[in-house]
Amino acid sequence: MSPLPEGRWIDVDGIRTRYFEAGTGEPMVFIYGGNFGTGDSASSAYTWSKQLAPLSERFRAIVFDKVGQGETDNPKNDDYTMAAVVRHAAAFLRALKLPPAHLVGHSRGGYAATRLTLEHHDLVKSLTVVNSGTLSPGVGTNEVVLAKPPHPAGTRECARWVYQNYSFDPNVVTEEWVDAVMLTLSLPKYQESVRKMTLEKLGSKLFLPELAREKRETLQWLDEGRLQRPVQVIWGFNDRTAVIDRGIELYQMFARHERRALFHVINQSGHFPFREHPGRFNALLRRWIESLQ
Amino acid sequence: MMVLVHGGVPGITPYCSGPHIWGSSLEKAVAIEVSGLTVDAMTQSVRKAIVEKGAGKARCHLVGHDLGGLLALNVAIESPELVSAVTAVASVAAAPTGDGLADYTLAHPPKPLWSCESQRWALERVSYSHHHIDSALLDGCVAAAARQQPVHADEFVASLMKSKSRLYEVCRTDGIKVPCQVIWGSHDPLTTFDHGLWLFRGIAQKQRAAQFHVINRAGALPFREEPEAFRHVVSAFVEGLP
Repeated sequence: MSPLPEGRWIDVDGIRTRYFEAGTGEPMVFIYGGNFGTGDSASSAYTWSKQLAPLSERFRAIVFDKVGQGETDNPKNDDYTMAAVVRHAAAFLRALKLPPAHLVGHSRGGYAATRLTLEHHDLVKSLTVVNSGTLSPGVGTNEVVLAKPPHPAGTRECARWVYQNYSFDPNVVTEEWVDAVMLTLSLPKYQESVRKMTLEKLGSKLFLPELAREKRETLQWLDEGRLQRPVQVIWGFNDRTAVIDRGIELYQMFARHERRALFHVINQSGHFPFREHPGRFNALLRRWIESLQ
Repeated sequence: MMVLVHGGVPGITPYCSGPHIWGSSLEKAVAIEVSGLTVDAMTQSVRKAIVEKGAGKARCHLVGHDLGGLLALNVAIESPELVSAVTAVASVAAAPTGDGLADYTLAHPPKPLWSCESQRWALERVSYSHHHIDSALLDGCVAAAARQQPVHADEFVASLMKSKSRLYEVCRTDGIKVPCQVIWGSHDPLTTFDHGLWLFRGIAQKQRAAQFHVINRAGALPFREEPEAFRHVVSAFVEGLP
């Protein structure tokens, strides 16, 4: 049985967008991490497969593929930027005509969810940020931990190695998870994004410098207290790519301005606490949203 | 069954805690009164109380505040068959002492000690905001002072250090056998964020189901200052237990 319900498609400003939803009630929208054009790993809606069904029992749970990731079209006009990801995510929420949603963003998705909140307060009721080195100030250690996988890019072995090194318990990386990664990597449009980001060097020429510029601005906005929404930070304690100190610093930035700011640390978890401890993670989300109703 | 174990004993703190300290933070829980002059004696009083309250029932989730957190962990170490989980709240008593800086938050309490005004002064000093301090709390503290015997600081502190040393030995070796979470107030003047995190780090060495949570804009009594957030964290922990 598929871990996700049957997928749906929606046109979002000309971008054919894949999404999955289940349940009724207040909407909670999940934004996964990673970015388009990575050849050794690939995120997709599957990342949240352990959240959608359990949380749909009380809420309208929605997962979508970000522009250029999973099955969603690549960005138009070679706009391989995080700004395009945020624009698409906001347009997706508007296209679904959702009331203000509870956003849950992980890693690069934590950055996107936060930036979306800062730019479109009307779309967001609360924000949950999970292990986001992209958003947190300080030194990211992905390059240190995941440098040069010992397997060729694009192979199952490589994908497994990457996610095992993200995780506390390597056994959490199942064959089903690797299957989902390989499916994305095999899509012609995804291979095109890999070509753009690597061979045409849009990763180093466009995506990373633009992200660095916008991250500076985003952190400045957070420092100015412009988030204006309840926020919780959930962190896997043993993440080597976004270490706990980065979560603490991020939480403290939020907490300076927002009374309803909580920090949660989950033990024996790497970068994906929602996959390593779905029961504990889902309980935190469920109770968080109930406390805001 | 959830059992609440208070901290704040006369002779150590200038406010007198007791079952009343919890207010309505966790309504379905049973709050017990701690007795004894040393940490060991207090631990036994908690153990005895939960055996009596829980006779024939399921194991208890012990929620302990400050010293109560250490007592709860002690009972979990000694009698894991009685305990299903531990929540240690603002547990300065259980956190590593380190070579810390002197804390003057509660120095020079107004006299007479344990009067309503003196206890109000202490509760305001340990809180982020004074708004949770009402007559029910103060009456409870004055009544607790009348029935509790002050501990002798020298004897008590020696027993505290001994108990803490045993806690961290167990954390390093056999581990605490039940799920544990540590909850900290972001603005607790009696401790620091790092103290809470190091208590969690100690427990997390051997206990997989360990969590750490910080509640914003709360001092040493986060269950009173931010009861909704506190309930949310505790109920999520219970719901997520393996």
